[in-house]
Amino acid sequence: MASAFLRTGLIVAIALLTLPRAYGHGGVVEEYDLCVINIGYLKAHFKIYVPQESGHEQYCEDIPVRGESIFVMEYLHEGLSEAAIDFRIIENTTGKGTFARLADVEAIEDLDAITVRYEPPSTVPEVFTLLQGFEADGEYIGIVTAATADGGKRYTAVFPFEVGYTGIGYWPWIVAAVLVLQLNYWLMSRRRARRAGAAVALLAGVALVHGASASELADAEWTSRDGRFVVQVEPELEPLVINRIHAWTLRLKTADGAPVTDATLSIEGGMPEHDHGLPTAPRVVSTDGEGGYRIEGMRFHMRGAWEVDVSIDGGGPSDVVTIEFTL
Amino acid sequence: MWQWLTPPTPWDEAELGAIASLSIDALPPLPPDPTNAVADDLAAAEFGHALFFEPRLSDNGMISCSTCHQPIRYFTDGLPRGVALGMSKRNTPTIVGSAYSPWMYWDGRRDSQWSQALAPLEDPNEHGTSRMRVLSLVASEPAYRERYEALFGGPPSLLEPAEIDRAFANIGKAIAAYERLLMPGRSKFDDYAAHLAAGGDYREQAYLDDDELHGLRLFMGKGRCTECHNGPLFTNNEFHNTGLLSLPGELPDRGRSDGRRLVEADPFNCLGAFNDDPGRACPELRYVRTGVELIGATRTPSLRNIAHTAPYQSKGQHATLAEVIQHYDVAPLAMIGHNEAEPLGLKPWERDRIEAFLDTLSAPPATDPGWLQAPPAERWRR
Repeated sequence: MASAFLRTGLIVAIALLTLPRAYGHGGVVEEYDLCVINIGYLKAHFKIYVPQESGHEQYCEDIPVRGESIFVMEYLHEGLSEAAIDFRIIENTTGKGTFARLADVEAIEDLDAITVRYEPPSTVPEVFTLLQGFEADGEYIGIVTAATADGGKRYTAVFPFEVGYTGIGYWPWIVAAVLVLQLNYWLMSRRRARRAGAAVALLAGVALVHGASASELADAEWTSRDGRFVVQVEPELEPLVINRIHAWTLRLKTADGAPVTDATLSIEGGMPEHDHGLPTAPRVVSTDGEGGYRIEGMRFHMRGAWEVDVSIDGGGPSDVVTIEFTL
Repeated sequence: MWQWLTPPTPWDEAELGAIASLSIDALPPLPPDPTNAVADDLAAAEFGHALFFEPRLSDNGMISCSTCHQPIRYFTDGLPRGVALGMSKRNTPTIVGSAYSPWMYWDGRRDSQWSQALAPLEDPNEHGTSRMRVLSLVASEPAYRERYEALFGGPPSLLEPAEIDRAFANIGKAIAAYERLLMPGRSKFDDYAAHLAAGGDYREQAYLDDDELHGLRLFMGKGRCTECHNGPLFTNNEFHNTGLLSLPGELPDRGRSDGRRLVEADPFNCLGAFNDDPGRACPELRYVRTGVELIGATRTPSLRNIAHTAPYQSKGQHATLAEVIQHYDVAPLAMIGHNEAEPLGLKPWERDRIEAFLDTLSAPPATDPGWLQAPPAERWRR
């Protein structure tokens, strides 16, 4: 479970922090997208839109234009999907402006009297959104509380913000841009390494304009990353075309050719050039006891270079095999 | 600027393969729908045809399926969002060719044509009726009752909840049998693809003019349209976040993130009790994808007849194709989730040419005209 948390968090973080053009077009100026809200240890990517006034422009805290504002929290922590979240916006009467903290809010005697909006607790998976219209400029404080599903521990985040405020300092953006650049550089160097592999696969497959031949795929043997397993696959779709769901049979042997009959396989994959995964969640449904594994739910929704990554847990250290082909 | 003046160049092998893959000649025969025992039954299609145009299947006696799915508009309605008793949540999609899709609705919250057909009947903003009232009409209208009994082996039962649900599902199955007949027709582009496949001149203007040829190359290449709009129906029927703005007064559309949960909970889904296939293979539903990629994602629509089915996008956000192409060219950040598209850097004339190409995908449905209008009333009302 912990690794699932980590993986989801990482995927979201990578998706959000290194948005696609940062890769493909080198432009990071728009990518200073680094606004995170901490609700206790629960983190979410936080942003505000005023779509009718400023379209796709996103704001971190202060909202320079009046109008219908949409507050978005994209969870970076899976725990928020099960937590009951409530959201309150109050007028900032603390006298501390943007330096108001939780203690200042707790010191307020009658919170309801200055509440502009209260959204009672609800459990919303993956992303929380709230719409609030602001007709006047002013100083406000947002208060987000999350009560976790297990035992109902409550965590609170407080964020002062201003509506109609324009004198924002630039230094936080510069810091963020530098961070994103650094992260980007790091990720791009990793990605280039992967791309080189994909380019070879693309060259190999460029003649197969009508889709890969399932029998050609079946003729190939794939060795796992650490060399512990050898894999063959037979798609039950000939020719192998896009947009059709079908099954594969995977034959698993050790490096010296002995069938592996009782491994646990998990299947992931996608298109490395497009940064997306499989459109389905295929899995092993049966084995023939002789090293054959039937995988159902395979589908590919785009022409181009695909890879299917099969993680193999056969008792000893796990290993992974990557099957590359072009549709 | 010089690019604007250059004539289209011949297609290379990969491009010829891509063109062939988009042609209607590459469309496989309609696969059977084992979940619907009457899917390919002509009598069921006739019954479904009558039901599709039946305004008594509504709270005010004025709304039928054809109120929003208008045959003359390629089974759409020309509105940003459907308007029946109230306003629908999203834009009315076409039905033509939908028999090929594993998912229905923009968010894929239904997984068959027949289960989809049931939902608008009970939606208070659409037909606003109930399954009991639908079945009462079928039971009391002699022509409907006869046809129902012949198809499903007895009158609709109105006693047990499970039997009511089964009879209601049967109504959807008859409507689906009709909808399966609504197939896309042969467009100018398809004739061009056949001409190319037969070894014809790539620049034969009788099929596509130079702007349209340029547009086709951009569509498959720089415009990256075929990443989602692929295959002979110009759709992969998958779910993608394309960074659309929310409408005034509305939260951003959660799309497939909610749709996946809804289809899994739907009692009329493939794994439910009303699937006629005892095997219940249901690969799409069993191996359905989950995860953060689905936040704000909606289903890729077919582009056949797209020039005649404005406005566009899941909530009708774009009035014209030019706006749609502009949107994909810019590829703005998504309000929720992650826009999969990337900026394209198209020149103004390139956007125009893609639009010109899209205009070559129009054709009336390849369906006998008798099916494209209400059946004669005297046949169904006595």
